[in-house]
Amino acid sequence: MPRRGTSHRTGAAPRGSAIAERVRASRNSNAAGLTKRTDPADIGAMSDAASPPLRVTSLSKRYRLEKGGEFEAVTGVTFDVAAKECFGLLGPNGAGKSTIIQCICGFYPPSAGHVLIGGTDVRTQPKRARQILGVCNQEDTLDSDFKVRDQLIRHATYFRIDLRTAKERADRLLERFGLADKADQPIESLSGGLRRRLQVARALISEPRVAVLDEPTTGLDPDARRVLWEVLSEARRNGMAILLSTHYMDEAERLCDRVAILHKGRILDIDSPQALIKNHIARAEIEEEVRPGVIWKRQPNLEDVYLKLTGSRLGVEGL
Amino acid sequence: MRLPDWAWGVSRVWLRYYDVFTKSIVFYAVTTFVQPVLYLLAFGVGVGSLVGTLTVSGMPVTYRAFIFSGVISQTVLFSGFFEGAFGGFVRMYYQRIFQAIAITPITLSEVLWGELLWDTTKATVAAEAVALIGVMTGDFAPLSLLTVLPVCFLSSLLFSGMGLASAAFARDIDQISYPQYLLVFPMFLFCGVFYPIEKMPYALQLIAWTLPLTSVNSLVRTLTLGLPFQFWAVPILFAWLTLLVALSRRAMFRRLVK
Repeated sequence: MPRRGTSHRTGAAPRGSAIAERVRASRNSNAAGLTKRTDPADIGAMSDAASPPLRVTSLSKRYRLEKGGEFEAVTGVTFDVAAKECFGLLGPNGAGKSTIIQCICGFYPPSAGHVLIGGTDVRTQPKRARQILGVCNQEDTLDSDFKVRDQLIRHATYFRIDLRTAKERADRLLERFGLADKADQPIESLSGGLRRRLQVARALISEPRVAVLDEPTTGLDPDARRVLWEVLSEARRNGMAILLSTHYMDEAERLCDRVAILHKGRILDIDSPQALIKNHIARAEIEEEVRPGVIWKRQPNLEDVYLKLTGSRLGVEGL
Repeated sequence: MRLPDWAWGVSRVWLRYYDVFTKSIVFYAVTTFVQPVLYLLAFGVGVGSLVGTLTVSGMPVTYRAFIFSGVISQTVLFSGFFEGAFGGFVRMYYQRIFQAIAITPITLSEVLWGELLWDTTKATVAAEAVALIGVMTGDFAPLSLLTVLPVCFLSSLLFSGMGLASAAFARDIDQISYPQYLLVFPMFLFCGVFYPIEKMPYALQLIAWTLPLTSVNSLVRTLTLGLPFQFWAVPILFAWLTLLVALSRRAMFRRLVK
């Protein structure tokens, strides 16, 4: 591809339209990538059992601004997450990832569109839908009035899980996440990374069919990140579907069967990381000057696609 | 027996507060009960010895009994408002408990009812403890513990709603000072806790009656001291109750749900 992207660097709008054009072109050239997209008209016909764990259809979200007027944070977002699938939501800060997640939890009402969890609309039947949903918010929502183990057990009881099962699961998760020796400690005594681990563990205590994890590995050390990846793999083998939002492209490339790249509230492209790389990056090898005089040669990766589509100035030139 | 889902959700949230309460019961006992006891001592015994007996609505009442019944309402006001306002703000803003629970099968509506009912429970128990002191000192009839309970409960819910609404409107925790100084303290001083409002000029009495604490005081005194029943206190109480509970829920939803 010519170095066209670079000539538009200062103007966001022309670049955006240029990207849209390229994305459209790439979609047409990759019809196979479109087969997993679902026609919204099909939904009514699908039964509970046949419907995927998570289905988001034509989701739009507008916020009222305090000064008056509205701001559309998410526009026409559609995707499914199948059982055992890990679906990545990638995008720069403010692209609408957390808004989509708040709508999936049923906390924010969508301005248009639907969220179905296991075939149940989260707005009309939030209790039923959220019974099979586990959420790890981006911000810290741990209940600081309870100690580490109690935290998990208490959260389980919100799902009407009996105390014995809750205790068993809590001990297993604490062990798995390396928090067993902290079980009786207050939350304040935990470091940021440990709190993050605990919050992810809390999202899994109800053994959800769908886990929504908003930047779960932010602040985790490499070791803890590996542990989380392993835990998620295990849970997926048991059928759990995962919606993952992350800023770590290596993580997305490694974990996600498919990713959606989100920019200014719209999905620019959805596909497997490999297909995205193939479709968007023409070069077989990338040369990058990482330090003055030091040039690395490497294969193109998801980060290159991300930077190219979301239009960061820091992207590698001439992709 | 399996509770309906909504009742189970509300009770689950209420139990969370109860579990926190029992873990630091000494702290709560001190912060909840010391203040009314200090008022009882300072005004009941101290000022009471100077004033002796009052005539309220044509009936003789000892100042000590008068102040004891006033402190019941004052306890409801302070306990309900401060728990709802500061406690509610901390739980909503700093601890994000509402947000954490309302993404489970428990809904935000149930979380807010649980919060309101817990604040109400705490204020009701504190007010009943004051009433119990009044019974032990012989100022109230024992039965009044029971008869005053519904008024304590409803007015606790009213002031918890006022507190939670304040928390919902406050941008930061300091802004709770506005309702505290503009509503709570004026009610505390001018709605008949320390002296019968009929001693005030007529215009001030009318203003006092628009505020909910005057009605609470009136009903509490009817039930504890046998003063004449001022029927208009009932609609005023229910009007404020409905308004503040609805406002607190609406404002919280508006704040949290974008």
